[in-house]
Amino acid sequence: MLLLALGLPTATQAAHGATVLPLLLADEPFSGKVLDENGAGLPGVTVRLKGSAAGTATDDQGNFSLAGVPEDAILLISYVGYKTQEVKARRAGGLTVRLVPTQGQLNEVVVVGYGTQQRKNLIGAIAKVDPSDTKTLPVGSFDAQLQGKVPGVQISSNSGVPGQAVNVRVRGATTINGSNTPLYVVDGVFINNNSLQTISTGGKATSPIADLNPSDIESIEVLKDADATALYGARGANGVILVTTKRGNFNQKPKVSVDVSQGWAKAAKLWDLATGPEHATLVNEYWLNTNGNAATRPYRPMSEGGRGLPEEQPTFDRLGQVFRTARLQNYDVSVAGGNAASRYYLGGGYTKQESILRPIDFQRANFKLNLDQKLSDKVQIGVSNTFTRTYRNEGRAGDGPAGGLLQAALHTPTLLSPYDESGRLVSRASFDNVQLLIDNYDVNSTSLRYIGNLYGDVQLLPNLKFRTSLGVDFNSYDEKEYWNTLLIAGAGVGGLATSSNAQYTSLLNENTLTYRQQWGKHRVGVVVGQGLQADTYHRTFAQGTGFPNNSFREISAASVTSSTENWTGYRLASFFGRVDYNFDDRYLLNVSFRADGSSRFGAANQWGYFPSVGAAWRVKQEKFLQDARWLSDLKLRASYGLTGNQNGIGNFAARGLWSGGANYLGVAGIAPQQLGNENLKWEQTSQANVGLDLGFLDNRITLEFNAYYKYTKNGLIQLTEPATTGFSSYWSNAVEISNKGLEFALNTVNLRSAGGLNWTTSFNIASNVNNIEKLATPIQFGSRNLILQQQGTPLYSFWVYKQLYVDPQTGNAVYDDVNKDGKITAADRQIVGSIWPKFFGGLTNTLTYKGFDASVLVSFQSGNKVYNHNRFFGEGGGARDEARVIFASNLARWQKPGDVTDVPKADGINVNNYLDGGSRWLEDGSFIRLRNVSLGYTLPESVTRHLLGGTVRLYAQGTNLVLLTKYTGLDPESASSSDANQQGIDLGTPPQPRSWQVGVNATF
Amino acid sequence: MSATTFRQRAAIRRQAAQLRPAVQLSVFSIAYLKSIAPFLGMALVLALGACSSYLDVQPRESIADNATIVDQQSSLTALNGVYSALGSSGYYGTSFQSIGYLGGGDIQWTGTQSQVQEFVSHNVRSDNSTVSTVWSSIYLTINRANHVLATVPTVTDPLLTSALRNQYLGEAYFIRGLAYFDLARTFGGVPLILQPTRTATDNQGIARASQADTYAQALRDLDAAEPLLPNPTTLGANDRYRATRKAAWALKARLHLYQGNWALAEDYATRVINDQANYQLVAPFNAWFANNARGTRESIFEIFYNGTTEVNGHRGNWQPTANGGTRQWAPNAGLVALLTAAPNNTPNGRSTLIANLGTTWYGNLYYRNPGSDPSYVLRLAEQYLIRAEARARQNKLADALADLNAVRTRAGLAASSATTQAAVLQAIEEERRLEFALEPHRWFDLARTGRATAVFADPLSSGAPLPAFRLLLPLPISQLQVDAALAQNTGY
Repeated sequence: MLLLALGLPTATQAAHGATVLPLLLADEPFSGKVLDENGAGLPGVTVRLKGSAAGTATDDQGNFSLAGVPEDAILLISYVGYKTQEVKARRAGGLTVRLVPTQGQLNEVVVVGYGTQQRKNLIGAIAKVDPSDTKTLPVGSFDAQLQGKVPGVQISSNSGVPGQAVNVRVRGATTINGSNTPLYVVDGVFINNNSLQTISTGGKATSPIADLNPSDIESIEVLKDADATALYGARGANGVILVTTKRGNFNQKPKVSVDVSQGWAKAAKLWDLATGPEHATLVNEYWLNTNGNAATRPYRPMSEGGRGLPEEQPTFDRLGQVFRTARLQNYDVSVAGGNAASRYYLGGGYTKQESILRPIDFQRANFKLNLDQKLSDKVQIGVSNTFTRTYRNEGRAGDGPAGGLLQAALHTPTLLSPYDESGRLVSRASFDNVQLLIDNYDVNSTSLRYIGNLYGDVQLLPNLKFRTSLGVDFNSYDEKEYWNTLLIAGAGVGGLATSSNAQYTSLLNENTLTYRQQWGKHRVGVVVGQGLQADTYHRTFAQGTGFPNNSFREISAASVTSSTENWTGYRLASFFGRVDYNFDDRYLLNVSFRADGSSRFGAANQWGYFPSVGAAWRVKQEKFLQDARWLSDLKLRASYGLTGNQNGIGNFAARGLWSGGANYLGVAGIAPQQLGNENLKWEQTSQANVGLDLGFLDNRITLEFNAYYKYTKNGLIQLTEPATTGFSSYWSNAVEISNKGLEFALNTVNLRSAGGLNWTTSFNIASNVNNIEKLATPIQFGSRNLILQQQGTPLYSFWVYKQLYVDPQTGNAVYDDVNKDGKITAADRQIVGSIWPKFFGGLTNTLTYKGFDASVLVSFQSGNKVYNHNRFFGEGGGARDEARVIFASNLARWQKPGDVTDVPKADGINVNNYLDGGSRWLEDGSFIRLRNVSLGYTLPESVTRHLLGGTVRLYAQGTNLVLLTKYTGLDPESASSSDANQQGIDLGTPPQPRSWQVGVNATF
Repeated sequence: MSATTFRQRAAIRRQAAQLRPAVQLSVFSIAYLKSIAPFLGMALVLALGACSSYLDVQPRESIADNATIVDQQSSLTALNGVYSALGSSGYYGTSFQSIGYLGGGDIQWTGTQSQVQEFVSHNVRSDNSTVSTVWSSIYLTINRANHVLATVPTVTDPLLTSALRNQYLGEAYFIRGLAYFDLARTFGGVPLILQPTRTATDNQGIARASQADTYAQALRDLDAAEPLLPNPTTLGANDRYRATRKAAWALKARLHLYQGNWALAEDYATRVINDQANYQLVAPFNAWFANNARGTRESIFEIFYNGTTEVNGHRGNWQPTANGGTRQWAPNAGLVALLTAAPNNTPNGRSTLIANLGTTWYGNLYYRNPGSDPSYVLRLAEQYLIRAEARARQNKLADALADLNAVRTRAGLAASSATTQAAVLQAIEEERRLEFALEPHRWFDLARTGRATAVFADPLSSGAPLPAFRLLLPLPISQLQVDAALAQNTGY
């Protein structure tokens, strides 16, 4: 885009250059005109002769005149808020320069629902993200790359496995059992963002968003308030993420871009485990503390029939076996261009990211083709195509013993040898042998994804445009597992293989009419449209056990096989419209409405209606502020509207159902499956937003401030049924949840010197307060019911026994006896904190100097809790004997009267001191993370001139270089499960790695 | 390049020419709009009208709940669903059984899931997940049985003969009776739910009946089942996997034993024991479970699993990792010592209930892989020991010893030397401990006799005996939270 704009004057001149004109004298003043992006004369623009002090400024009409300009000299044309241009001073034909606004400024085009809008005319809270500086972060999916970039959007990477699902929350969470993830729209296609994974990786899920190559993305818009999201009606309540992929430009010479990078990733730290002797000491201590006889303590001399003295115990390192220095590779090539009637973008990419945890990796090969063709002045057609193959070597990086990579490495006691007496590798403590796992792991998935959109635009009238589009999101998802008899999952069954193939198909047709008209100072835009969407999911699954030997891996060789089939689907029909009105660029008004009908709900409640209204006052445009030069922008915004949510519930959640499969004696059986609720309906979120935009010093300093209040009614929930009904729950609209928060963003141009040194800063911080306003009965979630949802507390609050202190006299943990009955029972569990931070945000600093560029991104959050479940297992006080590892942190246990510590004496699990659900393992998850540092150097033109005349940038990038946190685990963002209701529980999860990459980006 | 451009341009011209009429129309804007307006309106109406059918997407894996039991076939499949619930992992599949043996003092906890440890140490808390699972699974079974009991009588289908109808109803009554018996002995009194749940508001807010009333309900169901159930002279191939009248007798014998109705317990046990055409104590001891045996002549009622579509996951908790399990629990050193030493270490005797890998001992009653081990609910040895106990209570010591010794003889053991009533009862208790070492009896036996307070210690107070309130387990706190009509057992 920029290149095109820069290129235009040159091209114009080149065309004219063919004509021979009389040479004009150099001492005649040189004159020209500078226009803004709309073609209006731009006053006050600085025009300088390059390499001299001579300069002038444009007049009211944008005209300038400068003396002493030699023919073909270079003029520097600069104006705050616009890109500085260098133009050859050619008198022939006269000089007209059109300036292009810089990013982040008022005239920036922002993609909104079913249209675009200039930033200055925005009413809604919409964050536009330029993905270019984070697109090389080695995390697989573009959403994971945005942490710290968007105010009010909290992004947590649950694990260090690239391409795994991340948690994205736009302005908090509105639902308990529905989905809280935002709606993703790629080039107008509503894409599936629910993982199709069916094999178990210990609660983890792959990210369908990782099927998109971040390099193909032109811009990302995050729609947050009702004004912006109501047009997405039933799916807008959790925010909308609009992704626009790259396209060519009309009349653009082919532009080839190549980006190659290589990198390495490594865990910044690993767990500190007790050595063999320390482990044995603690087990003995447990033995004595629980009235065991010292003569029969487990670790006594072998001659006495024991396992040997503690100091005789060996120590084995398994963590070093599973963790590695991972390799990262990325290759992207693209060509973009166009002629007067057509334009194209062709992109291809391949990335391979190894996880730091063997043998997991993530590979993506993709191909992108976007085409647009003008058939006439009035008709344009086009297509967007994304083809991706994502291949993953999967591994169980979460909970669970069989096949659990990290659990096997971390939770096996260090004193147990990986070998048995005969020197064979054996599993220990019910975990797989780490070496056998690494050598025999054979679990993989292949996702073939096509996301495409075909559109036709017809200009029916000069002001009326019709657009029809057909969108497809097709995903074939193949999974394969093979567990041979050396691994727990395959042992005893003679090997186990599974094969699953799923297809997800989403078809979308939308038709819109867009009308724009201007009468004097009144400008009106109208969009009306209609859409139909149909999604289906179909899966076949086969399993085989009993293989002849470990050389056979395909189910065809299995002696026992079984198979199953699943099908589900839903449809959505929609009507929508929006009217925007602009008076004199001072008063802005937006009214929108959407009606969505969904097959998921009972016939009486299939339709939901989602109106919104928004208004803005551009105070700066008023006469009384026009002379205030220091103030370049002042805008007040307000909006209110309704949005809905229907995601996360089953496609048939409203129906009373019986299912098959309750077989007996090999004969089919049926049983009640689900209680019906014909009144089930949309979850409805109302949101009020007020905003303030400020710009100072010609927008060198811009501020954006938003305050919002979201209130969700009819929240979808699997309401707990008393078990006496024979059901555990049924779908209902019984929850009310509120989110209120503040968002603040500050962008400054700290330095913009003529010498070429530029320094910009972007800072954002947001705070969200979540509260369950109405919930009839509390609901327990998460591993061992660590999370309780109950009225009056935030979603995802931790429900624990609060440990007050360890009695220095007895060494016993003292818990808060909430009901004062003298006993610690389940009734004494209480809410202690939640997964929500009090505030979070990011800080980006960018420096450029001549060919050098540097960017530093820091992300942070504060006040959230993390349950360090690894530590719960690792601090068993010796009671788990040789069934679990002991963490070094357990060595700080109380040993004798007078010891002051928070780790009680070693005396067993779940009796008192090591109570499951104790608050001792609930930790502060606040962090400051040096998320990304990148350094680049663009070769000078004098060098690249010989290399096809393009630009070549060399860069180096470091990710997660510093993590400041009090959390004692490896990564406060770790969650053992991808389930939204089980966030903040850290178990068996590899941390986000520290990585380094070097690369080169060439464009010509 | 130029060739391409020319072709493209030519194509554009052609396409533009084709489109020209439409473009020209647009010039006459108002007229054009007027002309298309009715069509747009009609399209909208059509779209709205079509929407209701467009939005009707039917499930394919499930059926609507308003027409499920309509003929003989669906009556049978619904009944299969009741059996399936009875054998589910939360009930006789694993969890309920684990309550019966984990608390018996002979099983140790070797995994990490501390809810298991709570049974072993007799410190079960109301947030114990096994307790919650068992409560829910039993009521789920009851609801399925209630559906059969409420709907099958209304079905009109010539294929549903009265014999079949009676059989289906009898089986459902039997299973519901078993369910209430299990609830009563685990939790005491519970809400009595006798109608199926059809809407979200049914069957809740009902206070707990007394334990006596709950046992009475179990007995009422068995009384109802008894005449309806078939009583074949010779049991058919599947008759040990389904309830029969003989199974109802066997369960009644147990129920009466629990209630102290000694004569009735003796009477019903005798009916089963006397059916020697169908039931015998198979020998050697392990003949009723080893070598993939199932449906042996020892068996009165066992739950069937085929290992593929009906899987018994019980083995996973017992078997070591080398055999594909997690060995969450295992026989403790005391039990291992008892079973591996004389007199129990007879060939193919009770010592085969356990096995070892080196020094690691594990329970081996559930060993088939994939999990097709039966769940043993009622077998003949128990009937002998029920009768022995009932007779001993009635001071028929010689008869009692005869029954006890029948079981001992089959296990390869010498006759009991007990002589006094107390000694005979103690011998029976000890016999049950080993005969059912890995079956769900020991905890319930010690709880029903009250002996648990003498055998076990208070987990929270060193040196004190187990408090009597712990003979009943707590109701799940999660259920108390959702149903205000439920009250917790005292002590919890």
